[in-house]
Amino acid sequence: MFHKILIANRGEIALRILRACRTMGIEAVVAYSEADRESLAVLLADEAICIGPADARRSYLSAPAIISAAIVTGCDAVHPGYGFLSEDETFAEVVGAHDLTFIGPPPAVLDRFASKEGTRRLLGGYGLPTIPGSVGMLRDDEHALEEAERIGYPVLIKPSAGGGGKGMRMVRTPRELESAIKVCRSEAKSAFGDDSLYLEKWLEDNRHVEVQVAVDRFGHGVHMGERDCSVQRRHQKILEEGPTPALSAAARAELCERAVQAVVAAGYENVGTLEFLVDPSGEPWFIEINCRIQVEHPVTEMLTGIDMVATQIRIAAGEPLGFNQSDIQPRGHAIEFRINAEDPAHEFRPSAGVIERYHAPGGPGIRMDSHLYPGYEVPPYYDSLLGKLVAWGPDRATAIERGRAALDELVVEGLTTNVEIHKALLGNETFLEGRMTTNLLDRVGSAAFLAAAARP
Amino acid sequence: MPQDRKAAATDRATEHDASPTADHTADHAGIDRLVEGLVPALIAKLGTLNVGELEVRQDGWRIRLQRPAGAPNTHGRRLADRAGQRSHVGQESLGGPTGARGSTQMAAAAHAGGSNGSGGPSLAAVGPGMGAATDHGPAGSSDRDGGEDRRTVRGPMATSPAVGVFQPGSKAVGGTRVRAGDRLGVVDMLGIPQDVLAPADGIVVGVIVDAGTAVEYGQELVLIEAVAAIEAR
Repeated sequence: MFHKILIANRGEIALRILRACRTMGIEAVVAYSEADRESLAVLLADEAICIGPADARRSYLSAPAIISAAIVTGCDAVHPGYGFLSEDETFAEVVGAHDLTFIGPPPAVLDRFASKEGTRRLLGGYGLPTIPGSVGMLRDDEHALEEAERIGYPVLIKPSAGGGGKGMRMVRTPRELESAIKVCRSEAKSAFGDDSLYLEKWLEDNRHVEVQVAVDRFGHGVHMGERDCSVQRRHQKILEEGPTPALSAAARAELCERAVQAVVAAGYENVGTLEFLVDPSGEPWFIEINCRIQVEHPVTEMLTGIDMVATQIRIAAGEPLGFNQSDIQPRGHAIEFRINAEDPAHEFRPSAGVIERYHAPGGPGIRMDSHLYPGYEVPPYYDSLLGKLVAWGPDRATAIERGRAALDELVVEGLTTNVEIHKALLGNETFLEGRMTTNLLDRVGSAAFLAAAARP
Repeated sequence: MPQDRKAAATDRATEHDASPTADHTADHAGIDRLVEGLVPALIAKLGTLNVGELEVRQDGWRIRLQRPAGAPNTHGRRLADRAGQRSHVGQESLGGPTGARGSTQMAAAAHAGGSNGSGGPSLAAVGPGMGAATDHGPAGSSDRDGGEDRRTVRGPMATSPAVGVFQPGSKAVGGTRVRAGDRLGVVDMLGIPQDVLAPADGIVVGVIVDAGTAVEYGQELVLIEAVAAIEAR
């Protein structure tokens, strides 16, 4: 097992990894940018090291700064969290070259799954139904138009790197494609440092369901059930739950089983998430794999009782998984509400400022993962996630009721949050009946959605 | 410092200070001796010694130089004291009690005057801000002067441009005059040397981190006494 881990991330996930290290008896060093000097992970850490200025390109995205920090603090492993360098195979390789372990898939595995477009074909070869899309990356506008014509409109433009909906656009005509592609390229470039794009067939009224897997170095793999991430705004997940209300128990079991078989056969290692779109007929289509710990991992932790971050660390250290599929017995229902510093009344524009009051809700089945504290100044440089409120109940109805009470109890003052959209969702019939699709909010627009919820 | 302002300062000092002119002359002579002999030597000494503070008493004058509070000479568990890091350039970085801060400023100001060979009058100009360092002085306290322009010196810090291992350069020696942008050393980040640059024109007071020490981004490495007055002339 590792002796000391460098946490190369920020916000709630830096705190989550710090907590995992503490429970495992592993020392941890929090690497932070100048803008995060007063962050909770830094304040709670036994050891912290400033790696650069607020600009992420010179701190959280700087491989030399992170690796140098790991070396001078005597770490033997680096946890990249999510986002930033978490799926960067070059970073993982350089980490390895300095006798440090990258906590995630080994570089060779990351490399194999680096291209989303390539992974689709790879896992398609191992029996997963994959969504139709472009062959290879889009070379230029002409190539894009040709491929879109072949796949058939509407199509989704997607960046090869990263996640979180950045650089993604759905287009219905060649003209829309041409104008959107420039925007997507620049968004992808600034968010991930890579502007390669590809196309995917867009399914109308689709649902987003993902399967959590874990595979150790010895090829022993399990799935930990699935999560439904259909509640999105412009391709960004805002609420996730498990199990998915979109599929029957038999269909869920089959999907999870096929997913874990395919990744084990393709040589995947460590925790990972296979994302699927489910069409209105209930057919799943594989779209991509995320080779990292995900924001919504607490949903699975609440259902299974497994510490996902600890599992990830153990696998990276070369340990066997230590449990079998039959040991994983998901119980009940869990919903995660992403609490973002965004103003739902104003097109979800990001807000920043000092947290004047903060109260985290509690009670049975409630978990709050957040880096907030009263007096903390939310810096404007990074993503808007303030925390994740997770509600568990023996069934979906109870989880919803507990979630509603917890959202009412939550106090975040000093900046505007998106809590209203969650409250509106919990009053929305489509959501309550479990029939939501990824366009639930975008179809009417978030302002109209909120206004409708406010009507008696 | 323009001549008229120097004169004005002296006038004000005279108005407020009831002591006879003869005492002032004696003070000025004392200051001259400090400026030309003792202070440069002290600055150089503090730069090479692994101590936090030096104090010398002579002819009824007392001079104290102090390293910034919270500036570690050794590599702690947390790489840098966070409170110290928060203000890597500016007055706070001189840290410690007000008296100590004043005395460091005094040293640099006195040195500046001496190196320019201007003698007494120029010291009179900087003197009022330096009262804390002296047991007795012509003007006594900086409050009287009050003007921003009189705070001719602050203590800027050359900070680390990267996380890595610090190696001071040939200019990182106490007493060395440096210009803004001069290389004071390097921080080795994975074999890539990153230059540690002087943030301002001035005199190196001391290197506060040992060679070969692991440092973090923004960590204070070399204390400079910037002397705006030198450049103003």
